[in-house]
Formats: sequence, C-alpha cells, structure tokens
Amino acid sequence: MPTIVACFKWVVDEAYIRRGAGGALDFSSVDYKIGEYDRNAIEEAVRQRDAGGGGNVIGVTVGTPESAKGVKDGLSRGMDQAFFVSDPSFKDLEPSQTAAILAEVIRSRILQYDLIACGEGSSDLYAQQVGPRLAELLGIPCVCFVQKLSIEGGRLRAERRVEDGVEVVEAPLPALVTVLPDINTPRIPGVRDTLMAGKKPVITVKRDELTGTFEGALKTAAMTASSLERTGEKLAADAAGIARFVDSLRKSGVIK
Amino acid sequence: MAGIWIVAETREQVFELLGAGRLLAPEMETTVTAVVAKGSASPQECLARGADEVLLLAELAPGEPFGAQLPVIEQEARASSPRAILFSATARGKETAARLAARLAAGLCSACTALAFDKATGSVVMERLAYGGAAIQKLAASAGPVVITVPPRSFEPAEAMDGRQGKTRELPAPPPSAVKIVERKPKEKVSKDITEARVIVCAGRGFDKKEDIALARRLADALGGELGATRPLTEELHWLPEDLCIGLSGVQVKPELYVGLGVSGQVQHMTGVRGAKVVCAVNRDENAPIFALSDFGIVGNLYEVVPKILEELET
Repeated sequence: MPTIVACFKWVVDEAYIRRGAGGALDFSSVDYKIGEYDRNAIEEAVRQRDAGGGGNVIGVTVGTPESAKGVKDGLSRGMDQAFFVSDPSFKDLEPSQTAAILAEVIRSRILQYDLIACGEGSSDLYAQQVGPRLAELLGIPCVCFVQKLSIEGGRLRAERRVEDGVEVVEAPLPALVTVLPDINTPRIPGVRDTLMAGKKPVITVKRDELTGTFEGALKTAAMTASSLERTGEKLAADAAGIARFVDSLRKSGVIK
Repeated sequence: MAGIWIVAETREQVFELLGAGRLLAPEMETTVTAVVAKGSASPQECLARGADEVLLLAELAPGEPFGAQLPVIEQEARASSPRAILFSATARGKETAARLAARLAAGLCSACTALAFDKATGSVVMERLAYGGAAIQKLAASAGPVVITVPPRSFEPAEAMDGRQGKTRELPAPPPSAVKIVERKPKEKVSKDITEARVIVCAGRGFDKKEDIALARRLADALGGELGATRPLTEELHWLPEDLCIGLSGVQVKPELYVGLGVSGQVQHMTGVRGAKVVCAVNRDENAPIFALSDFGIVGNLYEVVPKILEELET
C-alpha cells in the first residue's frame, strides 16, 4: 500500500487582482485558493492510493500562518494527514526556497514514501520549478508534465507530454511526478468532506524546527500590473450593433 | 565566474538562444558557449551564429531521456562556472533547467520574456509573467550562476556571420538515467500552427457542445483565419486539440485580429493574445472580463449573434 506525498500551495486567486494606481498590484479584494494544478496533484495522489488498495496520502504545504485554511481545504480533498510548514516569513518565497524547505521536511519527517506528486506549476508564480528541484534535493527520479500515471511493482509508468508528442517512461520508486491538468478531474469537496477534514491530523512545523538557511538566489526587483486593458466598447446584439461590429472589423483593415 | 551558456536540443532552439545570448554577451563583456545535442545545429552553424565555443552533447542511447545529460552538463558547468545558462522553455528544457539549478544552488528565471545586464549593479535583470499574466515580475541576479528558460519565439534568432571561428569539444556520454523511455508516441499533426495566423477565432466555454464549434469555424473561414480555443475546451472537454490552446500554458499568438466567442476572458488566456492588434468578443455576460480586455464586443448570445455577423459579412 503506497505512501504518497502531495505538495500544494495556498495562493492568491489571480482573478481578483486589480490594477492599482501607478501600475501597482491591488490585492485588496483578493480571495485565496489551492493552486489549480495542485488540486490535480492531490487528486492524483488520492487516486493512486485508492488504486493501490489503501495507503496514506500526506499533504505538505509551506506558507504563512494564514495558509491554515488551505491545509483544511487540502484535507477535504481526500488527503489523510498534512504537514503545515508555517512561518510569517514564508511569504513570497522563491521556488528554490520552497523546494529546500519541502525537502528538509520530507527528508526529516516523512521517512518512507513511494511517490511525491506536485502540480505542473503554482497558480501564482507558475515557475514550474519546485517539483523538479525537490526531486534533485531528495536525490530521486523525476518525471514532469505527466498526463497519465500508474504504479506497479515498485515502479511508475507515466505518459509525459512533450512538444513533439508523448514519452512513455518508467522509473523506480520513490520518485517525483509533476502532473498536467488533464490527468484527472479534481473532486469538489462536499459538506461531509469538509467536516471530516477537521478531524484529520495536521502536524505544524515551525521555522525554528528546521535547520536550513533557505536563502534565496534571486531578488524580485518589481512586481507590477501588466496592462491588457483595451477600449472595451460594448455593442448591443441588435442590427445596429452587428453592423457596427462588422464595420469595426473592416475599418481595422484586418479583413476586406 | 563568466560566460553565457545556451543549452539546446533542436536547431530552432540553438538559433533563438544564441540570439538571446548575443544580446547579453557584449554588455557582460563575455563569451557564449553553445551546449548542443548532436543532430541539432552543426558546430559550424553554432559558431557562425554567435557561439564562441561549442560543447557537443554525446548521442543518447535509445530509451535515455534528454534529462540523462544532466550530470554531464552539471560537471561542465561546475568546471567553467558560467554566469548565465539559457534553456528553451519546452517540457524537457524546463525540467532539465530546474534540476540543474537545484544542483548548482542557482536561481532560475522561468519563462523569461526580457533579458538585460545592468552594468551598474552587475546584475542579470529578467522579466517574466506572474499571477496568470496579471503581473510582470522583474527579477535580478546579482551574483552566482543564474539559469534562465526562454519561451520559444520570444527572441529573434541569431543571424549567421562570416569568418567566425571557435573550438568544439565533444562531451562524454552520460551515465544511464533512472528514468527510461519505453515508448515514444509522436504527435499526430492534426491542427494548423496558429502562432502565425493573421486572424484567430477563439472558441470558449460559451459553446454548449462540441458540434457547435462548427459555428466558430464558419466565422474563422469567413474571416480567412484559424480556429483557436481556451484551455477548458482542449484540456478538460477535449473538444479541440491542445495545439490550439491559447494562453499562458498554451501558445502565445500575435494575430492582427482575435475574435473571442463565448470566451470569459480569464487573464491566463488573454495574456496569450496580448500581442493581437485588434481584440473583439461576443459574450452573453455583459460583466465578462473579456469586454474590458477587448477593443469592442457584442453583448449577446453567440448562437444568435454569430450567424448575423456571418450574414453581415456577406453583404
């Protein structure tokens, strides 16, 4: 019966980010969520556990104390227990730092595991680094961009999507995979799942319980709103609106 | 610590990464080393297009993935300590770049869209998109090696120049990888390359069923353009091939005209059309974000509006 680690991140829902004065990012009305791709990672971990006839899915997340909501959300999606690595300084971490923290927690506290599942990227930075970096820090095989996965006899078999098609690969366990969104459809937790989540064990790991220095390698010099806004003229669906729409197309010179 | 490295698997990658590398090299007053797979670009081509030195990766045994080259690349990088290492942001490139960065304890700027060297601070300065494209993140690497992945077609390919010379060295074959490729399924080329299309009609979640996409195709045909799609249609519903998926995690397009039909306008998608000259939309929800991100649009049911547009186009 497999032990599977699912890594996930509690992130700002980018749909609520506004463009503030002077091109600053306005986070005043944002909501938070488990990253879209991380939901696929959790779902895949749970499915592989169930396909293996039981076992254990351990969620691990790194974040500020406010990310506690994400831990409960993750547990409501079928994980059995969670490690919440939390510190007020764990805000705006670089992928290299997140990977180093995850590596220390997994190495020191999850002694035996078969598989680590990560999303293909976080919904906020989408740097797509934490998974492969974590595999290297743990010294285990890594298969990224997986659209289909099976585990058998101490090995994994995965379909990895690359530009020129699909590579079907095999690797010995323990190994790490990053999953693509089409590997599964994440479940939507029901009321019962949410209630159950509150009873599942959560182990909180504080910054001073870790030994690493977790220094960053890059500096974020600026984070500014990108401008996608256009004139945004709205037309009615009546004859006049349609005529004006087609006229605008013609005037743009794009069509004849 | 000096030098710029490019690590490439294909000819197109070699030329584009050399183009990016040559932008930085004069500013950094350093050389460009091309670490290339055999069968991509020849050493002569690499040198002609701006490499000062070529390191040829050994041919991989059947079943060995590109990532198997990692220990060899790592060893060479440790020996010559390049300041910047550029990869193409393809599936294999992204994975190998991140693993190399971890091994070298280096920073990595993923999907870098702008690249410069700031002489005053001695920093490599990079830009990338964050928050689904809602933000531009500016990163600076003041010291140490920095690994950079570049989305395909972000930089101009390097042009060939006469009379350039340099050394070529063959790298040793890597040890066997733990990951083995047991089968390769080449992509069936079912759809057109929409990155070069002049006009794109994009279908979104506003379509009720797969057959209805024909309506978007009719409009594309009438406008002399190609069909595109949002991520839910290619990844979740599988109504259209993934090559047509426009957005941050799909293709970035620069058509003269983009028409979004039933596209809500999520930032991850719209960031893929930021280079479009004209953006317009048809959506029944007047509060859909796409309207603010369009030049003009019709608030209405696409099933009623599109046939009328087609009619009007014929007059």
